[in-house]
Amino acid sequence: MSRDTALARVLRTPRGGISAAVLLLLVLAAVFAPVISPFGYADQNLPMANGAPSARHWLGTDEFGRDLLSRIIHGARTSLAVGTVSIGISMLSGIVLGATAGYLGGAFDRVVTSIVDLTWSFPEILIALILIAILGPGLQSTAVAIAIGYLAQFTRLTRTQVMSLRGETYVEATIGLGATHAHVLFRHLLPNAITPVIVAGMLATGNAIVLEATLGFFGLGAQPPTPSWGAMMSSGTAQIFIAPWIILFPGVAIAVTVIAINLFGDALIDALDIRSRLRTG
Amino acid sequence: MALLEAEDLAVAIGRLSPLDGVSFRVGKGEVLGIVGESGSGKSLTALTVMGLLGLVGGRVTRGAIRFDGTDLVGLDEAAYRRLRGRRIALITQNPMTSLDPLQRVGAQIDQVARLHLGLGPAASRTRSIEILEQLRIPRAAIVHGQYPHQLSGGMKQRIVIAMALAADPDLIIADEPTTALDVTIQAQIIDLMGELVRARGVALVLITHDMGVVAQACDRVLVLYAGRVAESDRVDAIFAAPRHPYTRALIACIPREGMERGSLSGIPGLVPSVADYAAGCRFAPRCPLVEARCRTEAPVARAIGERVVACHVAEAADA
Amino acid sequence: MPEPLVALRALSRDFAVGGGLLGKRRVLRAVHDVTLDVPRGRITGVVGESGCGKSTLARLVLRLIEASSGSVAFDGRDLGSVTARELRALRRRMQMVFQDPYASIDPRYSVRAALREPFEVQGLKLGAAEAGQAVAQLLDLVGLSAALADSFPHQLSGGQKQRVGIARALALRPDFLVLDEPTASLDVSIQAQIVALLERLRDELGLTYLFISHDLGLVRYLCDRIVVMYLGSVVEVLPTARAKPRHPYTRALLDSVFEPDPTRRRKVARLSGEIPSAFDPPPGCAFAARCAQANARCLTERPVLADDDGHAVACHHPLA
Repeated sequence: MSRDTALARVLRTPRGGISAAVLLLLVLAAVFAPVISPFGYADQNLPMANGAPSARHWLGTDEFGRDLLSRIIHGARTSLAVGTVSIGISMLSGIVLGATAGYLGGAFDRVVTSIVDLTWSFPEILIALILIAILGPGLQSTAVAIAIGYLAQFTRLTRTQVMSLRGETYVEATIGLGATHAHVLFRHLLPNAITPVIVAGMLATGNAIVLEATLGFFGLGAQPPTPSWGAMMSSGTAQIFIAPWIILFPGVAIAVTVIAINLFGDALIDALDIRSRLRTG
Repeated sequence: MALLEAEDLAVAIGRLSPLDGVSFRVGKGEVLGIVGESGSGKSLTALTVMGLLGLVGGRVTRGAIRFDGTDLVGLDEAAYRRLRGRRIALITQNPMTSLDPLQRVGAQIDQVARLHLGLGPAASRTRSIEILEQLRIPRAAIVHGQYPHQLSGGMKQRIVIAMALAADPDLIIADEPTTALDVTIQAQIIDLMGELVRARGVALVLITHDMGVVAQACDRVLVLYAGRVAESDRVDAIFAAPRHPYTRALIACIPREGMERGSLSGIPGLVPSVADYAAGCRFAPRCPLVEARCRTEAPVARAIGERVVACHVAEAADA
Repeated sequence: MPEPLVALRALSRDFAVGGGLLGKRRVLRAVHDVTLDVPRGRITGVVGESGCGKSTLARLVLRLIEASSGSVAFDGRDLGSVTARELRALRRRMQMVFQDPYASIDPRYSVRAALREPFEVQGLKLGAAEAGQAVAQLLDLVGLSAALADSFPHQLSGGQKQRVGIARALALRPDFLVLDEPTASLDVSIQAQIVALLERLRDELGLTYLFISHDLGLVRYLCDRIVVMYLGSVVEVLPTARAKPRHPYTRALLDSVFEPDPTRRRKVARLSGEIPSAFDPPPGCAFAARCAQANARCLTERPVLADDDGHAVACHHPLA
């Protein structure tokens, strides 16, 4: 209920409206990538290598003559897919773990918190690198690494929310009616706890995209020929003086995406007035 | 001449008018009770007298307030600052927020005397301890050196009262000073305040929702409903013969000694919020004696001797 | 004498607070050794000030929190030894009305949803029409218009919210209601409305009430018997509302009730000191430090609650 009207409010602000439009564009680009790309992302055209932006290749070509625009559009697919799937998994697991830990308390809570705190103390990139060292590079490994890297955040956030809501009078009243723990958790605690978690998830997606790009930059993410903004920037470093657009445009794509996500998330936080609830405790 | 006098005071916040035509006066050594429920405008009255309407985005739209001859409405901030704390002191409901948690309470009381009376550190300390003793605080010297978190609610409120008294004000406005306290402590503090006020010749405006407190501690009372005056008079007179239906109903809402089970009924309807004031008499929707005229025409407060009543029906009964 | 509906025996509840690496673990004795009967069909009042344990007692009686020791029996069944399923079934017969109407209903639930929840929780499936009827009946019972069924808590006044809370508590047709300061957060004129409603409901439905309040004036008006608590223990049980207090604390409490009648102004007796901390209750009588009549015995020996023809006092020298 309140989320719909908050959403409407967000879309009406310039900050919220513009960022939402940008994100929508990105999602559409990712979904319809094969349809809207002027060229295939793997189509090499060596004579046209390192070509500057022109009427034919709007963003220029890379060192193999591949159309940069098409590769960036397909890269959006990679980034958004990995970002949303991995954060989605992370969030779901985190909510389940955090809610049960926060509700049950006691030994279970202590165990979950200790394990989660272990990952909490490592930067996500380090966790990602360790996991990729074990699992080998690639898209799946990246997704798993990101999911595990962010698990702590969602677990703690949900746990804090549930713990603070657990003491609410209406929870007491519901137990007094004879409700089971499951009823209290799913009908009262989670619905009231979830809003900050979802917004945190949104913001984490932005971070996940940067993380994926970082891994891609070091060749540890999506493997060629699958286009990845990070990998594109990596190969672009060699041509930086000859064809600076190869490193520039993917970088701009990452920046625009993450900024749009952050602006939208920020606007949503203000509209929902939950800044105080986003502390992870 | 009364020490504090308000005449037809009206206050607006945005487009709403939560105070509409309030008049009252209080003299030295006198206790005036301002009683009402939520939305009655009683706390707003305190803020208005203290010149703190800016804090809630309000402004005076009509009427006057005179303190010892000085016009308070439109008084510049610098002049107001000289009055606040020194000649008019405010005691609010929650002692927890009135005290600085990081400073010893004694120092907080001392500060008042040093700031307003120019006393030195030793003199203000002696004075503060004296006041604490007058407030019946045992081991006053020790309490002087304690921090707020070491004290109970009742003690903290006594400290706040001490701060109010420290500069020897002429007028104290106490906004629900005991609502947050235990019943036995409340009785002690109300008793204490009455004693001090009479001994020092200070004027006290006691804002409360509790008619029992009014009956026990006040000389005169102003009954507010939805931002307007319903009735006012000396306490004995008003309780003996309340003329406004709201006053009567409010007194009847309080269980008293000997009341039979089943005789408490309350006032039907809802306490109105500022946005939903009725046209005409604001009490009309809930009034047991309502007539057609009440719904369209706002009653004017009329005085008969000391009694002021704003009610068409009461007026007709007098004629 | 018929068996009481609720019987408390030596009921105690402690809370452990603090501890950890640097702080010492302290024990708060919230309720201490309370033995009490709640007779059927009567209104029993529990009165006391902060730290007296009345709210904790309310929750112990309904087993919303666990006792540290002692027992609570509801209609002969020991609540401490029933299974979770049996307890859920028993909950249909005993319900609570909470102090804060603003917090006792999930802000996301409409009035309708809140009133249907008791049935859902207890596994009583109601068809749409049946549910609609049940909700309408409950709203009517507490004097609310049926049009409010689709409102949300933030759209209702305090008094209306409290009525919804009462309706919800009555949905399963309980025998016993625990009312924890049900009118404390409301305006005076609305308080009286709610009290009148509670009286009417009790008469109509034959309920038993445990009415918890800090307002002795209200408790004397409403209740058949009065239990006075101080710092976790029962210090007096008055068999009728008008009975003369025998415990000095009850006397002080009564003296603190200001009547809305200036001709009956009291001379407030000096009650020295403050309510002691529940962390370090003094040995002997908890009230001794503030009692004008305390002697050496009071400071060392804790008085036991002694019954004298229905009027019980825990005092070494009760008032005449």
